[in-house]
Amino acid sequence: MKNLINNLYNYRLLLKSNVKKDIRGKYKASFLGILWSFINPLLTALIYAIVFPFILKNTEQHYVTFVIIGILPWTYFVNTIIQGTTCILSNAGIIKKVYFPREILPISINISGLINFLISCIIIFIFLIFSGIGFSKYILFLPLIILVQFLFQLGIILITSSIEIYVRDAEYIISFLINMVFYATPIIYSANMFENTKIAWLIRLNPMSSIINSYRNILFYQTIPELKSLLITLFGCIFLLLIGFIIFNRLQRGFAEEV
Amino acid sequence: MKANNSKAIDIQDVTKVYKLYYDKPSTLKERLVFWNKKKAEERIILNNISLEISKGETVALIGVNGSGKSTLLKLMTKIIYPTKGTIKTYGKLTSLLELGAGFHPDFTGRENIYFNASIFGLTEKAINQRLQSIIDFSELGELIDSPVRTYSSGQYMRLAFSIAINVDADILLIDEILAVGDQHFQDKCFEKLEELKNNKKTIVIVSHSLDSIKKLCNRTIWINNGKIEKDGNTREVMEEYKKVCG
Repeated sequence: MKNLINNLYNYRLLLKSNVKKDIRGKYKASFLGILWSFINPLLTALIYAIVFPFILKNTEQHYVTFVIIGILPWTYFVNTIIQGTTCILSNAGIIKKVYFPREILPISINISGLINFLISCIIIFIFLIFSGIGFSKYILFLPLIILVQFLFQLGIILITSSIEIYVRDAEYIISFLINMVFYATPIIYSANMFENTKIAWLIRLNPMSSIINSYRNILFYQTIPELKSLLITLFGCIFLLLIGFIIFNRLQRGFAEEV
Repeated sequence: MKANNSKAIDIQDVTKVYKLYYDKPSTLKERLVFWNKKKAEERIILNNISLEISKGETVALIGVNGSGKSTLLKLMTKIIYPTKGTIKTYGKLTSLLELGAGFHPDFTGRENIYFNASIFGLTEKAINQRLQSIIDFSELGELIDSPVRTYSSGQYMRLAFSIAINVDADILLIDEILAVGDQHFQDKCFEKLEELKNNKKTIVIVSHSLDSIKKLCNRTIWINNGKIEKDGNTREVMEEYKKVCG
């Protein structure tokens, strides 16, 4: 473990330039460039905001803001998991030719996603201001929640990206699972809608629920997040991350041959 | 274990087996359907090799195609791992298995210097110090600020070689890439390698160009069918080699 941290520190410039490449390369040939990271989730949120008030009988007040606070972290989650799962495979060229700590690849995907997310947080703030909700002191919890999400995602993609090399089905299974988890996460609905129903446990079990709920609590409802649930999620994520590093380390020995 | 001061590379009883699949199962369905069909053939690339290379040695690996030279080099870089045995390297190691691996065609030469050198594990400060000597060595002049995709293949190689050679590694692994650029640049590369050799850097070269090996390396290891056929003074090994393969 100490070795790994040392190694990553030595290769910090590679991490930095990889993140730069990810961000710059992503929207390179498009007219609107980085603006797409705003427009995309914004349009999605608008669609939900138009459609769901008809489907759900009683939606929240300020439903657009409500949805956007859920959609943006979710977009960060989805993009990171999807790109992260294939990040080793898509870098086959350098994996075969040069030695560097392979962990750099999933970590840099997660970091460039994070930067995108932080920029798109501006949208959340704009909506909070214009809907009259404003800000509260609980916004100070924001870094903690982002940290939990970051660790959770890193743990997942360390595992999925290394499995993907051996079993190419991983990416398809993952994208299906993500679709499923979307409905088990309170993004378009609020968590208390399912309270006292048979599937409430399912939603509570989902780490993304706890994360999205926390964002919503501090930004939308302006209350303290459910600390117990958030801390359990945090420890769960750290545990997942450790397992992720162990699995990745095991499987990375074969990357150059299998890729 | 404490590192022996004079050792650069230490290879103990290394065996490398490649699994060759005629039809590689890479999806779940194939894995499930064909789980009991032994389609993999195991091919032993390196068979129980032990060798030590001391600091400051310039060693050539020779042998016919498919004898396992490049595999040995890849094992030393830690791109692949041995099936059995251990490999230890002491000091900073740079490998030139393929020039320009990880170049990004849309970025300028200058940006690619940063990107490529960072793959070799250099920090920003270290690259800034070397930037000028890399650009000078490559002789690209003002082209350095154009995107790499506009380079000719020779210019591309020159830039890649200049970066790799200026990384300042203790151990340099080179795989059949001495034929870079035009005659003038080749001579220059050669001079640089001589200079590194005189600076007590450890160099391991895989090459088929026996003439350049003769000039550069004191020690030659002849690998045949995954085993060390002969290891020793370049002139002696070369004579034996020429008898069989010449």
